[in-house]
Amino acid sequence: MTGTTSEVPDAAGALGSRRRRRTWGRTVPYWLILPVGVAMVAILAYPLYQLIVISFQKYGLFELIRHAGTWVGLDNYRSILHDPVFWDTLWRTIVFTVVNVGLTMLFGTLIALLLIRISAFMRILLTAGLMLVWAMPVVVAVQVWYWMTNFENGVLNYALTKLGVGDFFHHDWYITPTSQLGMVTSLIVWGAIPFIVVAVYAGLAQVPDELVEAAEIDGARPWRIFLDVTFPILKPIFLILTSLSIIWDFGVFTQPFLLIGESHVSTSNYLMGVYLYEEGYAKSDFGRGAAISVLMLLMVAGLSFFYVRKMVRMEDVA
Amino acid sequence: MKVRIIVAAALALGLAVAASSASGGTVGLKASKSITVWLQTDASSSPDWLALTAATNAQFQKDHPGVSVNVQYQTWGSHLQKFDATLAGGNTPDVIEMGNTEMTKYMAAGAFQDLTADKASFPNSSTWLKGLAASGVYNGHTYGVPYYAGSRLITYRTDQFKAAGASTSPNSLTQFAAGLAKLNAKYGKTKGYSPLYIAGTDWYFALGFVYDYGGSIAQQISGKWKGTLESPKSLAGLTAYKAFFNVASRASKTTDEAHPNPYDVYAQGLAGSIEGPGWYTCCVGKAYTPVTSQFVMPSHTAGLVMPGFLGGSDLAVPIGADKSLGEDWIRDYTSTTAMKAQQAMGNIPNTTSLFNPSNVHEKAASRSWFVPTSKNWVNVENGNVLRTMLAQILTGKLSVKQAAQTADANITFTLNQ
Repeated sequence: MTGTTSEVPDAAGALGSRRRRRTWGRTVPYWLILPVGVAMVAILAYPLYQLIVISFQKYGLFELIRHAGTWVGLDNYRSILHDPVFWDTLWRTIVFTVVNVGLTMLFGTLIALLLIRISAFMRILLTAGLMLVWAMPVVVAVQVWYWMTNFENGVLNYALTKLGVGDFFHHDWYITPTSQLGMVTSLIVWGAIPFIVVAVYAGLAQVPDELVEAAEIDGARPWRIFLDVTFPILKPIFLILTSLSIIWDFGVFTQPFLLIGESHVSTSNYLMGVYLYEEGYAKSDFGRGAAISVLMLLMVAGLSFFYVRKMVRMEDVA
Repeated sequence: MKVRIIVAAALALGLAVAASSASGGTVGLKASKSITVWLQTDASSSPDWLALTAATNAQFQKDHPGVSVNVQYQTWGSHLQKFDATLAGGNTPDVIEMGNTEMTKYMAAGAFQDLTADKASFPNSSTWLKGLAASGVYNGHTYGVPYYAGSRLITYRTDQFKAAGASTSPNSLTQFAAGLAKLNAKYGKTKGYSPLYIAGTDWYFALGFVYDYGGSIAQQISGKWKGTLESPKSLAGLTAYKAFFNVASRASKTTDEAHPNPYDVYAQGLAGSIEGPGWYTCCVGKAYTPVTSQFVMPSHTAGLVMPGFLGGSDLAVPIGADKSLGEDWIRDYTSTTAMKAQQAMGNIPNTTSLFNPSNVHEKAASRSWFVPTSKNWVNVENGNVLRTMLAQILTGKLSVKQAAQTADANITFTLNQ
């Protein structure tokens, strides 16, 4: 932007033109940001406004066809907060999120620590493998998982039986809600690890070798070094990765809905995303669905707060 | 820099124009005569059915030169959500196939055009299959044209039944179970073999036992619905189902009848018989087609057949669609010729005038049951209440009574919402 002022070195004539240019120069950033602003309003703000409006309306199939809901105040929110299924689902989702984020962070960090210790060739190989995982579309991954764990002829049952782990012929991996969600967890953790590995690995490269060496000379064991040297330095990264993972896993829909399967999702295995879909879309009760969305939005916004605050603080430091 | 801004702005503008003209183009295309028909994937699973649809389109285009037909195949699990989206967006298909259990909710909401005045102009409308035609009527108005009903049969291997000495026209459930035990003795050493493959949570099959023992899913008492699966008669039916499943099937106790398709298990040689729609014979594999036949599932009462689920479909014209073209296409697709083709495929035609009492399909339909006629029933179906109950019963996670009570509470709540 500095170009605008240096553009006019010899102010011989046109003072007006210079002033025009200066105003133009000052407004250019706003003009540049305008398309993004318009896009944000069109694809985020307006739908969000509509969502909030619908959440205060009775908006079922009847209203959908007529494109007009009837105002019911807080009825939708009241019915959800009095629905035991909502509270069961919320607790299940919280436990699910804690387990998923915990496992993702644990395995992601371990693999990142492994990456700095192996040869360059192995590192490239491993990174390429992780990138392939990251690049796999979720729906494809679900299908592959489903095939592998299939009751009739899944390769997992076959392999476990051949390896002598036990008789896994016709073993049903989806028999209880816990096992169903366990399979979903394995899929989600598998899919989320690459991102964590890459981010933590990048962070690990920033840990000064001198500090580690000094700690080693002082006789610290690897675990102590990780806890007292590496971890404090990587703390901001861990915080951000954890917040992001929580936001993703809390609202997850595709994996549980597709892997458990349309004809098996029930109140005993709902996660929040699936609950929202079933109440809002499957029952064509869009008002209630919108209210659930708003509640979820508030919860996720609460979680994001930490993330954003951390980001802002890091900006300040930088 | 300015040049760049101008280029960027021009590009953005160009994109916007392109986008709007693209959508404008589609609208224009629709105006230049084309109708969209939503059928279920059942109709795309068999070559005969595809041929029937193609012949209908050819006939329709002969009568309406210049009008093209765009048939889109939908799945049962997602077609209603997609339909809701088209209702919101105002781009509904011109003809839609609806399951008979799904009609009430949409008729009540006013999603279809009223066909009452034109009813007489539809082929065989005076002899429409009563139970099916009733599913397309709401408050005395006709919104759905009966399309076909499905008979549910046992499709079996003639060679295996003969070799094992099992009866191919069992007179009672006990006799059938005895035959299945014989099949198991002879072929059960093959890993994964089922004398009768039953997907554990196939509620269309399982609930037949409930109705056979005099039970029901729910009843309306002075305007209020009440789940009745925990009634003694229903419990007797569910208990009988569990016992029968354990004799007959080695399928997953938690799976449904589409994962895998029973006919695929059969085609792999892993089933002596399968239960399901009559048209399953289409897809049992080349090797087994010559040794495949069908009989009707027997009742626990000797001499009777087990009540079968009266599943079927209607064809409706959604609001906003081209009514006269939609109606014309339906007329062609439900003509007497088309219904004869449906019958040949193993479906029950929409008209009683074609009925043949010696036909195994129509014999199966002589005793039937249907879901509670509440506009909220489809929510019980989508909530997988019955499937969850069956999985709990078969896996022994809950006792038959506990599982039925849980399901009842859920059904009572949902139907009265």
